[in-house]
Amino acid sequence: MGYIPLGIVFGFLFVQAGASWWLAVLTSLIVFAGAAQYMMIPMLAAGLSVGTIALATAIVNLRHIFYGLSLLNKLPQGTLARWYLVFGLTDETYSVLTTMPPSTDHRMMVLITFLNQTWWVLGTLIGALIGAQARVTLTGLDFALASLFAVLTVEQWRVRKTSAPLWVALTAYAVAYPLAPGHALVLSIALCIAAAMVLHARSGRVKEPGHD
Amino acid sequence: MIDSGYVVAVLVAMGLVTFALRALPFVAAQWLQKHPAVQSLGEFLPLAIMTLLLTHAVVGAAQDDSNGPVPELIAVVLVAGLQWRGKNALWSILAGTGLYVALRNFNLA
Repeated sequence: MGYIPLGIVFGFLFVQAGASWWLAVLTSLIVFAGAAQYMMIPMLAAGLSVGTIALATAIVNLRHIFYGLSLLNKLPQGTLARWYLVFGLTDETYSVLTTMPPSTDHRMMVLITFLNQTWWVLGTLIGALIGAQARVTLTGLDFALASLFAVLTVEQWRVRKTSAPLWVALTAYAVAYPLAPGHALVLSIALCIAAAMVLHARSGRVKEPGHD
Repeated sequence: MIDSGYVVAVLVAMGLVTFALRALPFVAAQWLQKHPAVQSLGEFLPLAIMTLLLTHAVVGAAQDDSNGPVPELIAVVLVAGLQWRGKNALWSILAGTGLYVALRNFNLA
């Protein structure tokens, strides 16, 4: 149910940016990724290339790789159900599925994913229809995306044993931004991956002395 | 009006990229699990990338704002604080966005 209001805001902003209402609904049907969908709105309005938007989507959704890794043995083997669950593995679905007991019925998991998407699509439709009625010229509505990222950051932070990734990320951005303001995001992600590999190599040496 | 054909092309690309990322662990599980570095990245990257996306969005908003970055920082602190205590994503986002819109449009900060 939490998806309805977020869907409404997405549908509203999407139509306000100047795209047709049915495209907002189509987005929620075939993409189904909250943060990436919010991110795409200013990019569509700016008319950026399909490749650029696809790359940005890959960056925003890179975290989903790691969601799947922790659910490998939980998802059903039946092909259709399995692939629908994979398709619907959003932040919200992931957090619900991982808190369910391992014995949970697979039909229940499909139902949860399907309901999540239904609320999301329904919210999008409502927001898009409202947005199509009137143009609102309020600057700052797209701060909903920054707010969504803040929420996701807090939720990631809560489940980590260490806050090191947060401080490394802030440092990486502070280094990357003066060097290349236009590519600060990609550059800082590369710096973070490098830092993670260095930390990984060091922790390996600490745990297994003499092994290198 | 944004061209519908262009939007559909973007949607198809985004849908494919998103699905490919979500499906990758299920088709390449054996390879991924063999590399302890992947597990390590899995621990580290989600929080790091979210922090970067947040920072990037806030920096972008502050650049558009002649009073930046004060309103942006106030709004982010509000969202993070509400979310940390209340765990209600909807309220955190609505309150933060609402405050930010108010700050920007009424020049309160």
